[in-house]
Amino acid sequence: MNTAARSLALLLLSFAAAASAQPEGKVLRVTFQVAETGFDPARVHDYYSGIVIEAIYDTLLTYDYLARPAKLVPNAAAAMPEVSADGRTYTFRIRKGIYFAEDPVFKGKRRELTAQDFAYSIRRFYDPRNRSPYAFLFTGKIVGMDELAEQAKKSGRFDYQAPVAGLQTPDSHTLVIRLKQPDINFPYVVAFPLTGAVAREAIEAYGDESPSHPVGSGPFLLKRYVRSSKIVLARNPGYRGKTWNFDPGDNPRFKQIAERMRGKRLPAIDGVEISIMEETQSRWLAFQRAETDIEYQLWDVAPTFMTDDGRLKPEFVRRGIQLDRTVDAEITYLAFNMQDRIGDTPNPVGGFRKERIALRRAIAMAYNVDDQIRIIRKGQAIRAQYPIPPGVAGHDPKYVGLIPYDPRAANALLDRYGYKRGADGYRRQPNGEPLVIRYTSTPTERDRQFDELTKRALDTIGLRMEIQKERFPEYLKAQKQCRVMMGVAAWIADYPDGDNFMQLLYGPNIHESNNACYDSPEFNRRYQRSSQLPAGPERDGLYHEMTRIMETDSAWLLLDSRMRNALQQPWVVGFTKHPVLHVEWLYLDIDPKPAY
Amino acid sequence: MLAYTLRRLWQFIPTLAGVVLLVFFLFNWIGGDPAYLLAGKIPNPETIANIRRQLGVDEPYAVQLWIFLKQILTGDFGVSWSTNERVSDIFATRLGPSVTVLIPLLMISTLLGMAAAMLVAYVRGSLTDRSVMVACTVAQSVSILVYILVFQYFFAYQLGWFPVQGWGVTFADNLFRYAVLAIVVGVAVSLAPDIRLYRTFFLDEINQDYVRTARAKGLSEARVMWVHVLRNAAIPIVTNILLQLPGLLAGAFLIERFFGIPGIGREVILAVERSDFPIIKAVTVYVAIATMVVNLVADLLYKAIDPRVQLK
Amino acid sequence: MRESSVWALAWRRFRRDRLGFFSLIVVLLYLVVVLATATGLVARDWQQEAGVSFAPPTFLGPGADTPQLAKRAEGAQALSDYGIPDPLGPDLAEIAKGLSGASANETRAPTLALGGDKWGRDVLKKAVKGTETSLFVGLAAAALATFLGTLFGAQAGFRGGKVDDFFNWLYSVLTSIPYLLLVLAVAAVVNQKGVLTVILILGLTGWTGIFRLIRAEYLKHRVREYVLAADAIGASGARRMFVHILPNVSHVVLVQLSICVVLFIKSEVILTFLGFGVGVDTVSWGSMLAEAGSELLLGKWWQLTAATVAMAILVTAFSLFTDAMRDALDPRLK
Repeated sequence: MNTAARSLALLLLSFAAAASAQPEGKVLRVTFQVAETGFDPARVHDYYSGIVIEAIYDTLLTYDYLARPAKLVPNAAAAMPEVSADGRTYTFRIRKGIYFAEDPVFKGKRRELTAQDFAYSIRRFYDPRNRSPYAFLFTGKIVGMDELAEQAKKSGRFDYQAPVAGLQTPDSHTLVIRLKQPDINFPYVVAFPLTGAVAREAIEAYGDESPSHPVGSGPFLLKRYVRSSKIVLARNPGYRGKTWNFDPGDNPRFKQIAERMRGKRLPAIDGVEISIMEETQSRWLAFQRAETDIEYQLWDVAPTFMTDDGRLKPEFVRRGIQLDRTVDAEITYLAFNMQDRIGDTPNPVGGFRKERIALRRAIAMAYNVDDQIRIIRKGQAIRAQYPIPPGVAGHDPKYVGLIPYDPRAANALLDRYGYKRGADGYRRQPNGEPLVIRYTSTPTERDRQFDELTKRALDTIGLRMEIQKERFPEYLKAQKQCRVMMGVAAWIADYPDGDNFMQLLYGPNIHESNNACYDSPEFNRRYQRSSQLPAGPERDGLYHEMTRIMETDSAWLLLDSRMRNALQQPWVVGFTKHPVLHVEWLYLDIDPKPAY
Repeated sequence: MLAYTLRRLWQFIPTLAGVVLLVFFLFNWIGGDPAYLLAGKIPNPETIANIRRQLGVDEPYAVQLWIFLKQILTGDFGVSWSTNERVSDIFATRLGPSVTVLIPLLMISTLLGMAAAMLVAYVRGSLTDRSVMVACTVAQSVSILVYILVFQYFFAYQLGWFPVQGWGVTFADNLFRYAVLAIVVGVAVSLAPDIRLYRTFFLDEINQDYVRTARAKGLSEARVMWVHVLRNAAIPIVTNILLQLPGLLAGAFLIERFFGIPGIGREVILAVERSDFPIIKAVTVYVAIATMVVNLVADLLYKAIDPRVQLK
Repeated sequence: MRESSVWALAWRRFRRDRLGFFSLIVVLLYLVVVLATATGLVARDWQQEAGVSFAPPTFLGPGADTPQLAKRAEGAQALSDYGIPDPLGPDLAEIAKGLSGASANETRAPTLALGGDKWGRDVLKKAVKGTETSLFVGLAAAALATFLGTLFGAQAGFRGGKVDDFFNWLYSVLTSIPYLLLVLAVAAVVNQKGVLTVILILGLTGWTGIFRLIRAEYLKHRVREYVLAADAIGASGARRMFVHILPNVSHVVLVQLSICVVLFIKSEVILTFLGFGVGVDTVSWGSMLAEAGSELLLGKWWQLTAATVAMAILVTAFSLFTDAMRDALDPRLK
């Protein structure tokens, strides 16, 4: 169809009624607060698209629904992988009898999931044409793949057929991956939703449209899709199914869930209806009117349903609304640019000289994190004392941060190090030159609140502040190019291991995830050792030292980790917010007659 | 007339050229680099370089400009950088929702506005006239933002008469459930300025000689208003609506955003936020062409209806 | 001589319009307020967090729930230094000894006259100070737009030919681009944030309407006898444009200026909402309304009301004043 005819058809279609597009039966209704972009795992970069991808595709491994801290369990793999003695070879046996969802590209035949599908899916991350933002999960790890990617850059075509030493499929249900060096965290990579298996026929048939025609072997398939508006998933009739049999441990709420869900065939629901609702008001009102079943993106209105001590207000409890309260596996932090220069001008807050450390420390001591939690987060966050948040392996709840809130001491510190006030009341550098702290943020209402808090902090210690506004893409670019002198950043765990957070301060990650552009030999040395260790006391010891190094250098001020208040209607059964998994939909049920 | 039309069509070209150059250089100069946004959490230099190569932004400006020109001629602006959706598809699917809100909005506010304006024009100078005018002024002094916030809060939340936001499946569903509040807000915001404007048009007509003649001939005031004045005032009213259309389509973004209507305005905001150049290019070119066409049609309409009008 | 009596006549007509005259008084009152805030006489401390977070207006009485954080964990000492010494350790220890006891606990008012925002800042003071910003932005941007529109309109209408073609082309190009993109372009070029940016954005994109009108006026006037007469005595083009014709179109300019002020005050609200408006150092009605959105969800309506009422009164008064002025200057349009 040529473009004009096609456009006309789509236009008329957007008016007309669509063919029956609502799944029958038990449909879970949820919302996304940011629009999705597409559902091709190798071509997607955003969080919300990732959620849908998790529901549609099968990964080799996944997480146990109830185990805390999060524990890996087999998914499409029949068992956990066999790891060679040198830690470099992983052998996965694929479960037999997993089938892709029906789709015209399979020409009417039932299509079984094979090891080749996983190999193909991994190769796609290396294909320059896909420009996958998550290529870093694999780049530099698998033997022979980087060379293949280099060739593709030169020739313009990626060779999916060429044999590769690091990615082998000796038979249809065995996948052998050889890594260049041992990587303890590699199993987490194959639990990451974007590494789910895609069918080659589907990718080749749909070409550029693959993001809107996902074909997977997972529990759900895409039934109806109105871009940036509605995503309707239906149960995949050919799904192999799972049985709910998780161990609740001692947690009373988990025990209740286990009582009701044990033994059920999963997925227990028939479909999921996702509405894109960008405004908090809309989401909150929709939930209150029972138009949605689960809602956990309600930070802005938390005070209307939460009491000060973190419980659900009585009027909501009476209505049977359930609350599931967890801390997100994330941290928010204030990052200082640690380099000596920004562009070609000297950076007044960077470097390791004592007076610079004093400057950063004073700013950190003048920033009121409690007010941030109370006013900006509306009480729905906890102070982050450690770079690794709760729920992530390596978190230490007993660690107390070095930097207190003490504006008076901050002022005294600056006085002591020669940051004298000029005629205009603002402090100057010790060498007499003017001092301007340039703080960068995006022009959103949320960032405006951070601006105000930061301004207050800097005003308290007499530092002149200049706020630079950049739209989000520009902000990212400036951040990665180390052109941001001071800014607030956040990191959500990709996988539940502390290494994912500590790497944010590792020197070689500058221009990638190291937003403070921090390069400390002391830190780097310890990080390298820690990345070879499994989670445990030895690694914790290193992490303590690394955190203290970062604090004494005052490269960051740790701010907070947000609480996640997940509200559910009375008829939602078995929901608890998982620290890593997003598709709890697979593990819950809808029951119109709640027992509790 | 034909010569005039041709001359105006011919003038489209330098205007469009100006728009193209302006958008192109503005965007490349200050429009932002989407590569970092598309690169995700951990962008290494190769990823960035690769993305830029795939998007075609590492080509020299002349080449990119040439591609842009070709795109305008074929009407195919490629795919969105962030979603890979075909740009023409985006427009085709978003136009429906925008129009579902816009057409009823325009119809209702025009009819109500004309009726009210006629009434006050009829009693011009009286207390009613002045009070209505002052009321309109007050209504206009409140920002559209406030209207949206308050209407959504009261009618959707407190009273529960309408869904808070979203879009349905069937046309009827959309028109009678989801679009209603958006249309109501839109009418509330445009009613006051419409009444003021149309009143001016009506008064312009009333002050014309032919009206005095008609009255002198003994026609009733009602007939004068309804048959003569209305017909003549309809021209500026209609052309006024036409002229607003292109701007309205892209400009309804506030309403679309708050009410979750997947229309063109909302798409424009998303594209600007994501530095999604293909969509921005397409929107700019389409709106530019639409504006020029609508202006031409409005001028021709004037000429067709009133032969005294001199077209230069 | 003729001109002054035209203005005098207009003034007399204007005064007879009681509503218009009253509106002028209101506008002047606002200007007085702006003068007071600009010189620091009033609302100078608007940034001070005088009240508790979301302090209700006084007539409502203190709020029942204020989000309080559990008392700060005071004095929780680090378990050890993990073998990493703090280079600032000695300094901080000395400073701690030097600073006496607990810092004075600031007391916050439980209610404020018109309520407080999330930081506890006085909404009344913000509204008053916001008047200064919004009115300043409106006036300055309108002045800029009117200046550009009149200048370009005069050139295009008077000189005609290629000059006219150029300005018409510029006009077409600018009016064809969706407003949001134009705003973004100007905002990005003028990278500096703040009031100046907003004024430039509004001024540089808002001259097109005036341009059209002034151009039409100049087209009309340039063939009038008095202009031809001026030409005959050797007056230059510039002189004819600005010394002879301009005073005769000044009433149009004035009315357009006034309309622009109203339009730009309202536009500032939208711009600030989109993130292109004033910075955190400044409060405007736009910034107050932008905050009001999320506050309404929590049931805090006072900032929204204060900003809306303040803006509504000024904009209504200004509009009515503009209408009266236009009626007075051109009585045919009654």
